[in-house]
Amino acid sequence: MKHKQFRIGKLVLPYVMILPAVALLAVFTFYPLFNMVYLSFFKYDMLTPKKFVGWDNYYQLFFVNIDFIAALKNTVFYTLGVIVFMISLALIFALWLQRSTWVNAIVQRFMFLPHICAMLTVAMVFQWLMDDRGLFNAVLSVFNLPALRWLNSSHTALLSILIVAIWKGVGYYALILLSSVKSIPPELLEAADLDDAGKLRTFFKITLPMLSPQLFFLLITITINSFKVFDAVRIMTGGGPGNSSDVLVFYIYRQAFNYSKYGLSAAAGTILLLILLVMTVIYFRILGKRVHYQ
Amino acid sequence: MGEIVFKNICKSFGETKVIEDLNLTIRDGEFTVLVGASGCGKTTLLRMIAGIGPATSGELYIDGEEISDVPPGKRGIAMVFQNYAIYPTMTVKGNIEFGLKNRKIPKAERETLIAEVAETVGLTPYLKRKPSELSGGQRQRVALARAMVKKPKVFLLDEPLSNLDAKLRVSMRTELIELHHRLKTTFVYVTHDQTEAMSMADTIVLMDRGKIQQMASPMEIYNDPNNVFTAQFIGTPPMNIQKMKDGKHQLGYRAEKVQLSETKPDLLYARKAVVLTREMLGSETIYKLQLEEADDGSGKTAVMAKTPNLMFEVDSRVYIGVDRKDLYYFDEEGRRLRGDGISPSLEKMTAEGGES
Repeated sequence: MKHKQFRIGKLVLPYVMILPAVALLAVFTFYPLFNMVYLSFFKYDMLTPKKFVGWDNYYQLFFVNIDFIAALKNTVFYTLGVIVFMISLALIFALWLQRSTWVNAIVQRFMFLPHICAMLTVAMVFQWLMDDRGLFNAVLSVFNLPALRWLNSSHTALLSILIVAIWKGVGYYALILLSSVKSIPPELLEAADLDDAGKLRTFFKITLPMLSPQLFFLLITITINSFKVFDAVRIMTGGGPGNSSDVLVFYIYRQAFNYSKYGLSAAAGTILLLILLVMTVIYFRILGKRVHYQ
Repeated sequence: MGEIVFKNICKSFGETKVIEDLNLTIRDGEFTVLVGASGCGKTTLLRMIAGIGPATSGELYIDGEEISDVPPGKRGIAMVFQNYAIYPTMTVKGNIEFGLKNRKIPKAERETLIAEVAETVGLTPYLKRKPSELSGGQRQRVALARAMVKKPKVFLLDEPLSNLDAKLRVSMRTELIELHHRLKTTFVYVTHDQTEAMSMADTIVLMDRGKIQQMASPMEIYNDPNNVFTAQFIGTPPMNIQKMKDGKHQLGYRAEKVQLSETKPDLLYARKAVVLTREMLGSETIYKLQLEEADDGSGKTAVMAKTPNLMFEVDSRVYIGVDRKDLYYFDEEGRRLRGDGISPSLEKMTAEGGES
């Protein structure tokens, strides 16, 4: 009898152990998630009772309120930009910093600093730097280049935010890549040297495949983080000028907290969720096979 | 072809001089083993030949051509690394093919070469696999195949067997010897294991602290060592070395030449001893014996004996004896004395031992 009790205890114990974590996840992640999808089919302003409207919110998003499409386009553009520049810059920095010299050690620490600063402060500092009479334009004028209007022009507003995001993130991502660049056994590169592989070929055939798990990880996290960009936009441009730097999360935020259109906001959130899900699945399907795990 | 000549080679890592003014000729087509304790500079020499760790100064020739400025990939050499260094992201075939592709060898030719070499090392069924799906021995073969497919003038092997288990190591040893017989190219093999060196080499280059101690065939290096270091490095157990009565000269004899007896033997070298330990290996027995008094009067000293005779118990009193022809004499610096160098007074000292 005692034996059996022990066995039941053994079966139950693991679930008891994960219960606190699951409970927190259920309350703060799963419930809001399902509630969001649920709400997206209602008209709801938190004051009057919610009213079922079916797909109307989605119809609104795609066919009536065209600023949603604009926000979506901007977000996609921003994400692509961040992925391309962030990953290539992080890779370049990682390769540059791989030799352990004291200069590199210092550079590495400085590069990591932006990561530990709050986006709020970073955004405010850049707002000041990117002012019409700010440091950026001062530098441009030194080289006799025309001043840019940075955040005040619909052509450069989103680009400016992209620059801030890359400046803030590149040190962190470079550090992740650096640790894996350093873990490539030097004999592999020597063997490639003996196999008469040129520098470029060694990079593309040995180094890059060896980094593929980290690059893949970067790709997914950067995609997700970029799709969720909010604070820099909120502070620096407020989505403007016009809606030239409006992004998905900021759109969701406005619909909910400025206009009290919680149903519409939930529908936009659901779209964001679907996009991220689909993107991640695509990544794993298409690229997952080419990733080499040790 | 593949004769390698080192001329006045020096190498330092920062402040530390690893190799100073080294001259060495590795003969074409031979299986040369560089052997020595870790840190003696043997791998440094190998990496110099490969071009992945250039000399600080000096000249290096392959077939009479100075190659210090030739990049590693153009030297006509192939190397097998200690940890194999096979590309983990490529298949077995990809690994073997990589060097050929870099040389822009046409596909049809590549296919034949790969098939040929895979057959030789027994990798044909595994060509599509990734290295992570292979055993240690198979990875070793991939590394070998990758080297062989390039048909190099010189094979460089850096302790290639040290990551294999004991049994596999012995069988790979024979395979490497056969491979050398078949290819008849120059093999330069680095190891710290003197047994490996003895069993595989045509020529052994024994190194210590960046200097060549002796370069000779296994038989010669065993029977006719140039110095104390060589005498003690080659052979298991190492040669017994005893300081002589004058405190300067040293006397050496191999454990396997020691004769044990209960009565005092009629040999030039004869001493009283006590059996400390006895290790029975089957065909022979290794005794550790203690002499009451070393010849130079420094107290108790231990010697090893290796003999088929297994009847001596631990703690029993025995006589050890060594024939005159099996004695080696060395001077103060550990250099071997030969022929006329062995004076009658030395032999007299040997006979007298510690007695005055």
